[in-house]
Amino acid sequence: MTYSIIARCPRSGRFGVGSTTFSIACGRRSESIRPNVGISKSQAYYLRHVDPMVLNLLEQGYTPRRIMRVLEADDPDFDYRQIGIIDGESNVVAHTGAGVGKWAGHTVGPYYAAYGNGLAGPQTVEGIVRGFLEQPEAPLEERLLRALEGGRDAGGQMSNGRHRPERSAWIRVVDRGYAPEIDLRVDLHERTVAELRRILEEYKRYRTYYEKRCTHPGAAVPEEDLLPAR
Amino acid sequence: MAYALIARCPRSGQLGIGIASYSIAAGLYCDGALRANTGATLTQGAPNPRNNYLAISLLAQGRTAKQALAELLANDSDCEYRQVAVVDRENQAAAYSGDRVRGWAGCRTGNGFAALGDMLAGEQVLDALVTGFEAAPQAGLDERLLAALESAGGVGGMAGARGRLPERSAALIVWGGRTYNEIDIRVDLHERAIEELRRIYGDYMPSIAYYEERARNPRNAIPAMEFADMLKAGRAREAG
Repeated sequence: MTYSIIARCPRSGRFGVGSTTFSIACGRRSESIRPNVGISKSQAYYLRHVDPMVLNLLEQGYTPRRIMRVLEADDPDFDYRQIGIIDGESNVVAHTGAGVGKWAGHTVGPYYAAYGNGLAGPQTVEGIVRGFLEQPEAPLEERLLRALEGGRDAGGQMSNGRHRPERSAWIRVVDRGYAPEIDLRVDLHERTVAELRRILEEYKRYRTYYEKRCTHPGAAVPEEDLLPAR
Repeated sequence: MAYALIARCPRSGQLGIGIASYSIAAGLYCDGALRANTGATLTQGAPNPRNNYLAISLLAQGRTAKQALAELLANDSDCEYRQVAVVDRENQAAAYSGDRVRGWAGCRTGNGFAALGDMLAGEQVLDALVTGFEAAPQAGLDERLLAALESAGGVGGMAGARGRLPERSAALIVWGGRTYNEIDIRVDLHERAIEELRRIYGDYMPSIAYYEERARNPRNAIPAMEFADMLKAGRAREAG
């Protein structure tokens, strides 16, 4: 069980992933997003090697639609996989196999895909999309987190008739540079989406400082003089 | 500001980083820092976001750790504000700590590892990073990296003008032979980040094999919730 949003910001061209799940440390999947190339985020019964392979194919010029056919032809268990792919022209495809845990499904928009499995119902995916579209002028990281909050507030995850908590969460945004612009994680927490919100808000206070410390280290004031929010 | 140890396990060939920092989400600075069968690197103090990628790219071309480090420094007009470490696949390590890095700062290298830190409580913290790492050479690389962080945190960690600076973020990353990480656990903002990293590590490790098997053989997989309940029951039995 997991739900995710993948998107290419129509204004900045930045790529972003937001994901939350019952499993621990979902943010370890940094191989799923590559600057200047795209996003391939697989989940449910996913094979780790698939996302880097998809991104290699995107980099060579394959379209997301064609790549999906390649994956299907190569995988006897394709019915158990869920995956979303987006390229640098905002072409988006998604797949939810029939064997993926119920409720499972996806919604594909003009520059994003929202999808999940082990969900309370289609309302969770609707909640993700609603959260994501709520503030189209906001920066991508804010929209991704609102998408996760929207999914959570719409019922989140469920199995055997019971609500299942999100225990890890992750947002990552990349621009043209090598290093990610935003990469924040909660790996194991009882209220993980709320905790990710707390960390994003605190990180926003430091973000410009951290960027300047990298590029103009001689001008950086001591970090400990920037006091944490109380 | 942070302290960190990067290493290659001479037995398994695994590559890894352990880092703890006062800064939020220090794991972010490890992006691109490891590549299977290639090497490990880290730039901190004032990180230079392009360094990891350049270092790994140089190592992939066959340059040694020492050569790669020299290239990074030559490529960076602000290198005196940085600490840089590189370990290559021959277990050679090179490290540098710039003259303008803040507070007590330094680096050490050994066979297959490099340790570095700035704003430290003193030299004993750097020593403890190394002794913690070397305490159980037969242990797995992940255990050894965690032990290094715990040992350095245990002798004072980081300190500023107003006293101790808590570890607010930490990360443990290990790569094996694949195109993606084997272990990648992070704490991005917490009052006792190293303890929290140890807690997550303890819960995470038993699930790795389960998720790999589930993906290879989805038709016969035990549901994730059932697996989590089995783990919990096992732990309760152990606790007696």
